[in-house]
Amino acid sequence: FRYTRNLVDNGNGKFNLMILCWGEGHGSSIHDHTDSHCFMKILQGNLKETLFEWPEKKGNGEMAKKSERVLRENQCAYINDSIGLHRVENISHTETAVSLHLYSPPFDTCNTFDQRTGHKHKVTMTFYSQYGERTVC
Amino acid sequence: LPAGLSQWFPALEVLDVSGTGLAEMGAELLSLPCLHTLLAKNNRLGGPGSLPKGLGQAPLARSLRVLNLSGNRFADVPPMLLRLRGLRSLSLGGNRLHSIPPDIQELRSLEFLYLGGNFITSIPPELAKLPSLKYLVLCDNKIQSIPPQLAQLHSLRSLSLHNNLLTYLPREILNLVHLEELSLRGNPLVVRFVRDLTYNPPSLQELAGRTVKTRNVPYAPSDLPETLVRYLSLASNCPNPKCGGVYFDSCVRQIKFVDFCGKYRLPLMHYLCSPECSSPFSSASQSSTSQSESDSEDEASVAAHRMQKVLLG
Repeated sequence: FRYTRNLVDNGNGKFNLMILCWGEGHGSSIHDHTDSHCFMKILQGNLKETLFEWPEKKGNGEMAKKSERVLRENQCAYINDSIGLHRVENISHTETAVSLHLYSPPFDTCNTFDQRTGHKHKVTMTFYSQYGERTVC
Repeated sequence: LPAGLSQWFPALEVLDVSGTGLAEMGAELLSLPCLHTLLAKNNRLGGPGSLPKGLGQAPLARSLRVLNLSGNRFADVPPMLLRLRGLRSLSLGGNRLHSIPPDIQELRSLEFLYLGGNFITSIPPELAKLPSLKYLVLCDNKIQSIPPQLAQLHSLRSLSLHNNLLTYLPREILNLVHLEELSLRGNPLVVRFVRDLTYNPPSLQELAGRTVKTRNVPYAPSDLPETLVRYLSLASNCPNPKCGGVYFDSCVRQIKFVDFCGKYRLPLMHYLCSPECSSPFSSASQSSTSQSESDSEDEASVAAHRMQKVLLG
């Protein structure tokens, strides 16, 4: 019922390569990338990426949008914490989307941000499947 | 659709005619007894003739499980669609719907309902009568409020409400114990305390009516004018489960925030019979029933804790 993260390769601990599957209307929270490099390539469909500025220390206002764009099939994007935060969404109500993500070094926790207040919240990320096998929580 | 479809492919189970420019689907569909999945997204359906006449009587009405009509031009849900009793999954995403018909409750087997990307302004309470509904998508619409009855969707696991016009939620939303996902972003949810919204003080007739009902004052139709007998029969129970009071026309609406450890505050609308009615989730203790107040607060914090895990950013 949400987008799924499916691990494909863990690069001997140096990186995580995964495939994300987005249903119609599925979107991520605004999140950071825990000091890692993040590459994304669209394999199918389209994904909208909205960039946000980091909120002020004790953020207490609506977060500031920097820019937004729609990434088409085969397009690539890159982000890291010094660039900012982003939200990725499949805004289509008729098509699913699939994206390939490379994170180096790998990370399994990050912060999510409330767009209305800038408050952050640490979360642990999980995989829906790993190497083709369903991961049971 | 080509005539003779059912003669060439009588065993057809899945038919995908998406992206073909189809404006009508006619009687060719009616004689496909094995058809359980019909995908017709991104077409020009929406006018008369989009669905065949006699759909309600065809075997299709019982056999069809999945219907995807997203990306078409439907301005309303065709009544014939509501005859598909066996339907488990319906998508009308990205159409031109302005409302959801109350008769949607006829789709008794529905588990998945996608209505994102329309122009829907309100949700009929009858939607809550779908006993098997697990996944409800209402994102990217123009919805201003959620009816509290929606909390009766006991099977609901996922509720998508992002990008609408909600300023608050009914407090009953905390009753959806099986909910695993809730998306609320992109709604103008109030963040600051909002003074009591409209409260019209009760009329003398209402005050008398409340006393008659709560004190069980006996009366017979011969004792009162017919209009008053009818009036008394319209008493509603106070929405606060801990209050035994009733109200007729006058009820307080009040927004209280449920706080998730200071990280996220959700504005929930409480309906009370009067401003003095002690409500669950109220932080100010007013009456001497301190035990029941703290019980309410425990319920509230358990519900809030559960909701915190469920809320998607």
